[in-house]
Amino acid sequence: MNGSPPLVLIAASILLPLLYPLLAARPGWHSISRGALPLLPLPALLLALLSTTPWTLELPWLLLGSTWMLDELRRSFLLLTALLWGTAGLYAVGYLGGKHLRRFGVFWGLSLAGNLGLVLAADIVSFYMFFALMTFAAYGLVVHVGGNHARFAGRVYIVMALLGEMAMLAGFLLAARDGGSLLLAELAAGIAASTNGWLMTTLFIIGFGVKAGLPLLHFWLPLAHPVAPTPASAVLSGAMVKAGLLGWLLTLPIGEVGWQSWGQGLILMGFAGSLGAAVFGVIQRDPKTVLAWSSISQMGLMAVLVGAALMAPGQVSALLPVIALFALHHGLAKGCLFLAVGLVIPAGRLLQSFLWVLLALPGLSLVGMPFTSGQLAKAAMKGALMVLPNVPLAGLLPLLLQAATLATVALVVRYGWLLWQQLERGTIPASRWLGWGLALFCSAVVFWSLPTVALVMSD
Amino acid sequence: MAGLLFTPLAWASLSLLLDFRKGRCVSWLGMVIQVLVSLALWYAVMERGGFSYALGGWEAPLGIALRVDGLAVTFVLLTAAVATACGLHAGFYLDACKPWQRYFWPLFWFLWAGLNGVWLGADLFNLYVSLELISLAAVGLVALGGEAAALRAALRYLFAALLGSLAYLLGVALLYGRFGTLSLALIDEQLASCEPALIVALLLMLAGLALKTALFPLHGWLPPAHGIARSPVSALLSGLVVKASFYIAARLWLELGDRLGSPWLAQSIGALGAAAVVWGSWLAFRQPHLKQVVAYSSVAQIGYLFLLFPLTFAVAEPVSLLAQQGITLQVISHALAKAAMFLAAGNLILSIRSKRVDALAGVSHFLPFSLFSFGLAGVSLMGLPPSGGFAAKWLLLQASLASGQWWWVGVLLLGGVLAAAYVFRIYRASFLEVGDSDDFYHPPQSLEAIPMILALLALGLGLVAEPVLSVLSLPFEVTADVNEAQL
Amino acid sequence: MTATALLPLLALLTSLLAAVVIFVLPESSHRVRILVNLMAALLKLVIVALMTWGVFHGVDFSVSFTMLPGVSFMLRADALAMLFAGLSAVLWLFTTIYAIGYLEDSPNRSRFFGFFSLCVASTMGIALAGNMFTFFLFYEMLTLSTYPLVVHRGTEKALRAGRNYISYTLGGGVVLLLGIAWLHGLAGDLAFRETGHFQGADPALHGQLTLIFILLIAGLGVKAGMFPVHGWLPQAMVAPAPVSALLHAVAVVKAGAFGIVRVVYDVYGIDFAFMLGLLQPLAWLAAFTILYGSVRAMAQIDLKRRLAFSTISQVSYIILGVALFGPIGTVGGLVHLLHQGIMKITLFFCAGNYAETLGVHRVDELDGAGARMPATSTAFTLAALGMIGVPPLAGFVTKWMLGTGALATGVEWAVVVLLLSSLLNAAYFLPIVYRLWFCPVAAPWPGERRWGRLETSAWLFWPPLITTLMLVLVGLLAATAFSPLSWAQLIVVRMYLP
Repeated sequence: MNGSPPLVLIAASILLPLLYPLLAARPGWHSISRGALPLLPLPALLLALLSTTPWTLELPWLLLGSTWMLDELRRSFLLLTALLWGTAGLYAVGYLGGKHLRRFGVFWGLSLAGNLGLVLAADIVSFYMFFALMTFAAYGLVVHVGGNHARFAGRVYIVMALLGEMAMLAGFLLAARDGGSLLLAELAAGIAASTNGWLMTTLFIIGFGVKAGLPLLHFWLPLAHPVAPTPASAVLSGAMVKAGLLGWLLTLPIGEVGWQSWGQGLILMGFAGSLGAAVFGVIQRDPKTVLAWSSISQMGLMAVLVGAALMAPGQVSALLPVIALFALHHGLAKGCLFLAVGLVIPAGRLLQSFLWVLLALPGLSLVGMPFTSGQLAKAAMKGALMVLPNVPLAGLLPLLLQAATLATVALVVRYGWLLWQQLERGTIPASRWLGWGLALFCSAVVFWSLPTVALVMSD
Repeated sequence: MAGLLFTPLAWASLSLLLDFRKGRCVSWLGMVIQVLVSLALWYAVMERGGFSYALGGWEAPLGIALRVDGLAVTFVLLTAAVATACGLHAGFYLDACKPWQRYFWPLFWFLWAGLNGVWLGADLFNLYVSLELISLAAVGLVALGGEAAALRAALRYLFAALLGSLAYLLGVALLYGRFGTLSLALIDEQLASCEPALIVALLLMLAGLALKTALFPLHGWLPPAHGIARSPVSALLSGLVVKASFYIAARLWLELGDRLGSPWLAQSIGALGAAAVVWGSWLAFRQPHLKQVVAYSSVAQIGYLFLLFPLTFAVAEPVSLLAQQGITLQVISHALAKAAMFLAAGNLILSIRSKRVDALAGVSHFLPFSLFSFGLAGVSLMGLPPSGGFAAKWLLLQASLASGQWWWVGVLLLGGVLAAAYVFRIYRASFLEVGDSDDFYHPPQSLEAIPMILALLALGLGLVAEPVLSVLSLPFEVTADVNEAQL
Repeated sequence: MTATALLPLLALLTSLLAAVVIFVLPESSHRVRILVNLMAALLKLVIVALMTWGVFHGVDFSVSFTMLPGVSFMLRADALAMLFAGLSAVLWLFTTIYAIGYLEDSPNRSRFFGFFSLCVASTMGIALAGNMFTFFLFYEMLTLSTYPLVVHRGTEKALRAGRNYISYTLGGGVVLLLGIAWLHGLAGDLAFRETGHFQGADPALHGQLTLIFILLIAGLGVKAGMFPVHGWLPQAMVAPAPVSALLHAVAVVKAGAFGIVRVVYDVYGIDFAFMLGLLQPLAWLAAFTILYGSVRAMAQIDLKRRLAFSTISQVSYIILGVALFGPIGTVGGLVHLLHQGIMKITLFFCAGNYAETLGVHRVDELDGAGARMPATSTAFTLAALGMIGVPPLAGFVTKWMLGTGALATGVEWAVVVLLLSSLLNAAYFLPIVYRLWFCPVAAPWPGERRWGRLETSAWLFWPPLITTLMLVLVGLLAATAFSPLSWAQLIVVRMYLP
């Protein structure tokens, strides 16, 4: 049943973060601006939780005629985005100093608006618009700290992002011609029917692969994620890379027959990324860089799932929730891990050991420890992959999955070790704790009550 | 109508008796009368077409026959406009204290009488007389500059003019010997075949007139004379006087050229015109003195006029008409624009107290108005729209293309570019900003307004070219009622 | 005279009369001049809006009279004319406001604003010209009226640039005149007509027509800044910022591009031009110019020179769109006529603001200007992103339309050019943006001036912000009626489906 779109909530979801940068117009408003950070994704969260999906909203006056919608897949991504940005925002309230606060606020708001908007967008142009908005605004977050490192990272980020954008645009232009429609939903059929289908698929895999950190397109990621301010790293690694994943899901010819070899290729790439990233990750000295490599590794697994969906048109309805679940799990956990880097351990032995347990929790979840989101996600993934028909590497699949888990373990251990060594002792503003705590709460507790999770569990 | 000839002569005698200041007042009255009479004649032609008129009622072979058609009346009106402007300007511009300036007015009126005589003359001898009147008056006007250089230039001018007249007279004599009449219309009727003697006559007449019109390479006398004369005089000379001899040459060519001319002759005259365009423009570009620039520009602009000869020879009637219309527009627009330019240049020289182009720096800042008149006149000379110069160029382009003589296209376009080069050289010099002090002399507004009006007329001519040209094609009635024409 | 004939004349006369009044006013009467300027600009805006409304509803505004035998002076407002007229009317207003602030306390203002108005009058004439002859008339008038603006500063450098400018443009004018005269001799007085005039022309004439086409495009290409006759454009940057804005965004380069559109569509007819095989080379040339301009722009240190080379590149988008031979590509080209104008004028306003407020002219002096002038820098950033083609800004709509158009007619390489050009645009714009926002101030500003509460004088402050708002809105609301995109579609519908 189609729900009617809750117009006020939709408008608020996009416009609140989009117009938030206006607060920067006056220097005197910076305290309001700082305090408002965690509130920005609230309407979107409400939208994801309260609205009856699916709904479709036609906006014929916007751009070249826009359509926005929310279905189950998008709802899951919207939830992730809103939760992570909210908790990271709360964290940021305590994290940010007075310097360049206004600038940070501007880019934060714009990136958030882009990230939320691209989830809702259902037509090519508005999707591309929000995607670009997020990409360009996130540049401001990457280079926020300044200095040579940040500048170099920023340059690599923007160059690769631009290349990705161009690939994406070329793909969209071709798709719009061959599909004859600007709707994302009709893209897959158009690609499948077109003689240029291979070209478009390549362009989309590359275009979104940059954002999703596909091997050989990942160079910016270990550079850019660590140099950003910690809350920004969290959203970059937790939410924004997922935009690449969502892009794949929306644009690749998933559910169409005849893309087996493409799916296999993507699966191979995914595993290569997943395992290779661990090799590079464990030799890093900065916990945030380790986390960035871990993100590449995890995104590799998600690429495997996408590849599976591409390969087995019959399984798509089963695979999509799994992918959404995995993304949700990884995003929330990764967010916690990043936010933890900026914490300062207070005095008190008992408190300390309690905290360390909590700090370890998302890491364990990533590894797939029982009773964590990770376990559910991994199990779902394994289940989905194992039933795939005629995979050429079927024999190797369990082995590869084991290896991937091992890789994750290695990275998490390395991260834990570095954190143990580098985490400072002292006191910090409460909101930082609050933000991290909330993120942890989402990852460990709220996760289980989210609609997507319920859906997968009921299967 | 007779007034057009006699009023100037009467005023010439009258002003001979008066000093400069009184002559000025009397002359202004005369100008008003002349303008009104010219307008009335124009109105009459508009109403009922062209007509012939025998002065004092004596018919052609004996008396002085006048012939009015659309072209003539247009030129009469043009003369009235330009001469009036120059006369008004001269009244303010010339230094009344110099004793010899009192001769300005008589010479001015003789010149005017001569010009009207040429436009309206119907036989070759009358044309000769008018032409001589013009030449002598013009030489006198040049000499009014008073300096030694002016006298030298005037003398040179005099020799050139006399030589030209002589050649012309010789040609006329040859024709008279052959046909026994001096009426152009009668000669036209009787001329059947091409005889060598007649060709010689035509060549002589054309050569003499070309010398008087300063066609390249016979232009050497013009720049010194026009450059050294006082500005209103230069304006008169460049705007009107050279056109008179050209007018006669053109009429000879259009009446007799189809039988006496040859493609070779037509093309070589055109080639001389083209050379004048290029060479004159180039020299104009090189001149250090402002008025020399303008004077050499005249040499170039006169060159265009001679494209009439190839473009009307042995071509289809509509093409010939296009060319004639184009040349007529060129005459009118050049007269207006060049007069404006000389008057504006005079004002500028007055202001900067120097004749040199490079002394113009800062003029654009402190004397924008004079420069603007100069600039607008320049637009017409460059042949840019919507000026009369552009309209003329357009028609000539069409005529060249339609007659298959595409090589003139290059001349026309190149001439425009070269004109732009020398006009923009002046702009460039005057846009230079040097210092903030305004130590220029500011001429009175009446002096500044006159060239502006002329320049605007030249500029607007392109927009009203069609009505102006339509006057030219009014029908000509040979059997006109003499009495009705008594104006 | 009926209202339909009167309105085009009035649109022309508003700025013409304003010019005359301003010339006559003494240098010292600032207030009256400002008033005349603004009233004329507003009045023209109203007139143009009225005409646009009328054209939308199919009213035929035209007036003509015979000027020379066989040649008529003809003003006619069709949809294409209103596109250009609307652009110049809107941007004239803002440029006037900006120029008032920019030239505060500088000499020769009477001359400046007089020629400024003349310049706009010529632009209006170019827009409303109903035949090639009238077009040429105003085209040359534009050349003349911009010369005093280019050399306005009166320095040796400005005069040199002026000479260069005038040599190029008058030279182009001569070539154009030859083409027009030849065409006129061949086919008579050609009124612009949606289907062109040569459908089914005698094959014997094809050779001549091809030659004439080359002449016309070469003549118009000078003003449009096409390679290899673009040399005047970067030099003309010595002019004051509002002039550069006007030259680049509204008047001169657009006159050239607009002329090419007219020639291809309304004189030759797109089908015929295609049949002669003329569009393909034109597209190549445009594509080369796009890339060439971008590459050259990257090497420029002077901000305005960089923007100038960017203009060379961007204007050829319009020509590329026309040469793509398809309705969608045409829409892209036409809409870029407006979009480029809005974006480029914003960039020049901002460059002018930096120069006037901080004394900064070079890219490497801009470090940290974002903190000192956030509004201007925001405007600059958005306009630069628009140029790159980031959605939803104006430039994206163009790029999308051109890209789809190119694909629709099977000209895949054009898409590659577009994408490459976007990357190059990013390569020369983003470093500036980076310097604005992320670099600390390196040295004290070379010539800082302060104006109370706002970051710069109010006259300079608002115009770039308003144009920025426009460049966001034309992209964001591209699908609404009366957006530039919809208007371009209207033109194309009338052009392709007569």
